[in-house]
Amino acid sequence: MTGGLKKARLILAHRDHGVSVLLAATVALALGVIAAAQSLDPATLLKPPADSWPTYHGDYTGQRHSALKQITPSNVRQMTLTWAFQTGQNQQIKASPLLVDGVIYVTAPDNVWAVDARNGRQLWRYTHPMNDAFHIGQRGVAVYKDFVITTTPDAHLVALDSKTGKVRWNVVIADSKRGYWSTNAPLIIRNHLIVGVAGDFDNLPGILKSFDPETGKLQWTFHSTPAPGMTTPASGGATGGQMWMTGTYDPALNLLYVGTGNPTPVLNGAARPGDNPWTCSIVALNPDTGMLVWGFQASPHDTHDWDAAEVPVLVDGEFGGTQRKMLLQASRNGYFFVIDRTNGKSLLTSSFAAVNWASGIDKDGRPIPNPAKEPARDGRLVAPNEAGATNYRSPSFDPATGLLLVSAQDAYGIYFFKSDHGAYGWAGANYSVYGRAALRAIDYRTGQIRWSHDLGDGAAGAGVLTTDSGLAFTGDSAGNALAVRTSDGTTLWHSGIGRVGTGPVTYELDGRQYVLLGGGSALYAWALPEP
Amino acid sequence: MRIVASILLIASTLAPVHLLAQGRGRAAGASPASQRPPQTATPQTYPADQLATGQTLFVARCGSCHGRDAAGGEGDTDLTRSSLVAEDIRGDKLGPVVRSGRPDKGMPPITVSDEELAAIVAFVHERHTTAETLLGGRRSVDVADLQTGNAGAGRQYFEAACTRCHSATGDLSGISKRLQGLALLQRMLYPGSGGGGAVKAPAVTVTAPNGQIVSGTLAYRDEFTIALTDSAGSYRSWPTRRVTFKVDDPLSAHVEQLGKYTDDDMHDVFAYLQTLK
Repeated sequence: MTGGLKKARLILAHRDHGVSVLLAATVALALGVIAAAQSLDPATLLKPPADSWPTYHGDYTGQRHSALKQITPSNVRQMTLTWAFQTGQNQQIKASPLLVDGVIYVTAPDNVWAVDARNGRQLWRYTHPMNDAFHIGQRGVAVYKDFVITTTPDAHLVALDSKTGKVRWNVVIADSKRGYWSTNAPLIIRNHLIVGVAGDFDNLPGILKSFDPETGKLQWTFHSTPAPGMTTPASGGATGGQMWMTGTYDPALNLLYVGTGNPTPVLNGAARPGDNPWTCSIVALNPDTGMLVWGFQASPHDTHDWDAAEVPVLVDGEFGGTQRKMLLQASRNGYFFVIDRTNGKSLLTSSFAAVNWASGIDKDGRPIPNPAKEPARDGRLVAPNEAGATNYRSPSFDPATGLLLVSAQDAYGIYFFKSDHGAYGWAGANYSVYGRAALRAIDYRTGQIRWSHDLGDGAAGAGVLTTDSGLAFTGDSAGNALAVRTSDGTTLWHSGIGRVGTGPVTYELDGRQYVLLGGGSALYAWALPEP
Repeated sequence: MRIVASILLIASTLAPVHLLAQGRGRAAGASPASQRPPQTATPQTYPADQLATGQTLFVARCGSCHGRDAAGGEGDTDLTRSSLVAEDIRGDKLGPVVRSGRPDKGMPPITVSDEELAAIVAFVHERHTTAETLLGGRRSVDVADLQTGNAGAGRQYFEAACTRCHSATGDLSGISKRLQGLALLQRMLYPGSGGGGAVKAPAVTVTAPNGQIVSGTLAYRDEFTIALTDSAGSYRSWPTRRVTFKVDDPLSAHVEQLGKYTDDDMHDVFAYLQTLK
């Protein structure tokens, strides 16, 4: 247990006895657990203290589960809005805010704001120069020591001084003129800053890069599909496989897990025969070298834009009577995977939403794509639609119940391809027909859906957060923030704050648990009333 | 990855999702991708530097919904096939839309200077003109592509599955004159998912806490709120937990069919609908 966690427990204990917050803070100081202001030792990420949310997923596991339990199923209705931070932008907040040393860092494309976590007051703002790249979203920063590092629409990586927001260094990850952009929240592993890009309007090789967080110097590049002139990996002619979501990390195995995106050309499968590794896959990499250790393909030969970029959630627990180190993914293609993360072997594959595109599951646990559901001249009715059975919105794993909570969608689309569409970029046409959102609780041991909570028309945009008190926070597709009981999905609290596009996060400051939810272009902080 | 550019983002940032998912209230008109792009009425040229500025502005301010190439995502956001753009002369029609938005379609007003607006308009026209010159554009679905079904088999399917609500000589009489190609297919699968005109809102009856029964057409619904438009045209809403209500949504039968159609069924029923002239 780290000092930070001790501090949190002490504060809770004292609060229970009515002792002042000031005293608790003094105790914490006496224990010497308060770090230098606005600075993060990367070792902290191994066991993040309760008064922080120091990396995109909150920790390396991707579980988005917090041990905090001041806010409970019985008192969550009493939560009050403590502050709201207005970005004043048209763009929705799609980031996970980070919290380090009492300061929140939240982003939108071309923007980073530092905000006082106690009152929502802006400390500084960084604005990236206007550029003509794709302004699609921004998922958050990474913090390393006193560097706050963001990616930009024009695929730059920019390191800011955490105290002032001034640029410390600025490097190019990939050439935005060729069609790359970045929304990625970088991941810090020791002295590696790992960052991905996106881009499937063009046939571009899939790249993940590691930089020195102090200087911006390139350390390694991993290719999920071969660069021009390379022969490996043998992708069957496919490009793409971009790694645009933040990965997870197992320190004991020293493995970084990242989901890869769809192949390009996107809908024209004939142009790239075979399985097209490592597109639509989960890859395990050595974070020191970028070398592939294993790969698992969630959608072999994808022709529907179903990235497997969704969060690879790391769980240690019992499976089939044996203690296992597992990786769970609810994938955009509608299938839920449990994988042995030491070797990439499948333990379980099941569907969690409407699917009609696979003819079965192969011996390795991979869905077998039905060729009749590939895009065709006269159209194919396919479930899920392009938006997928889930997407970038992060799921949450609750250890007490063994449930993975996923913001899912039952959806249908029609997919077209004819030779006129060519073999570059999208290379086809597709249209969504219908979608309905639901929060689904998947029992990882069986793949069964324990409960399903309707979230409205279309797809919802919020991630999920669970806490040790048995609460789950998310948002529906209509603009309500929700708290539900993790065990059965019953709604316990809601607030119509506008479309929630963030992964909710939680932390404890001054003995008070906060829950942060982005609604529209504003960030809202909720807590129980002060005594 | 394109989803982030398309439906999620459109739905998430700009509009009540039910508008986009079901297209209620969407203006009439065939799905743009089933047709050749409407030809620009008044050809216009713009200087290269203005186009470059316009591209930068467009991608930053408009690209999240309309795509960085103005070719849109899903839904009606493809400006390269927009008839409004075809009719526009140097922003006379686009300008008011940019500055006022289209609240009914979820588009917010965009604040731009005259100079910025002119540059954006220039870029949109350039993209529109480029699309006009492309044969078989990457998102085109032509009527001829969709002629693989068997109308006889489609009629059988229709009579077994669809006649509870529809009639070939009643509501669907002449449907193939009103809608063709992709627009007809989308309308058939789930009305409102593509072009083809507004979809009638479901009927709803609410029993208020005082026992009063109010009927109307569904105006809004989520887990916590039920709202209707009553016969006088007034909007009325209630917390769902305080009232009982019944929504009669005929589209639920279309959702059921989506899980039942084979691709052959879909093409057959489509072929049959094409015979209803």
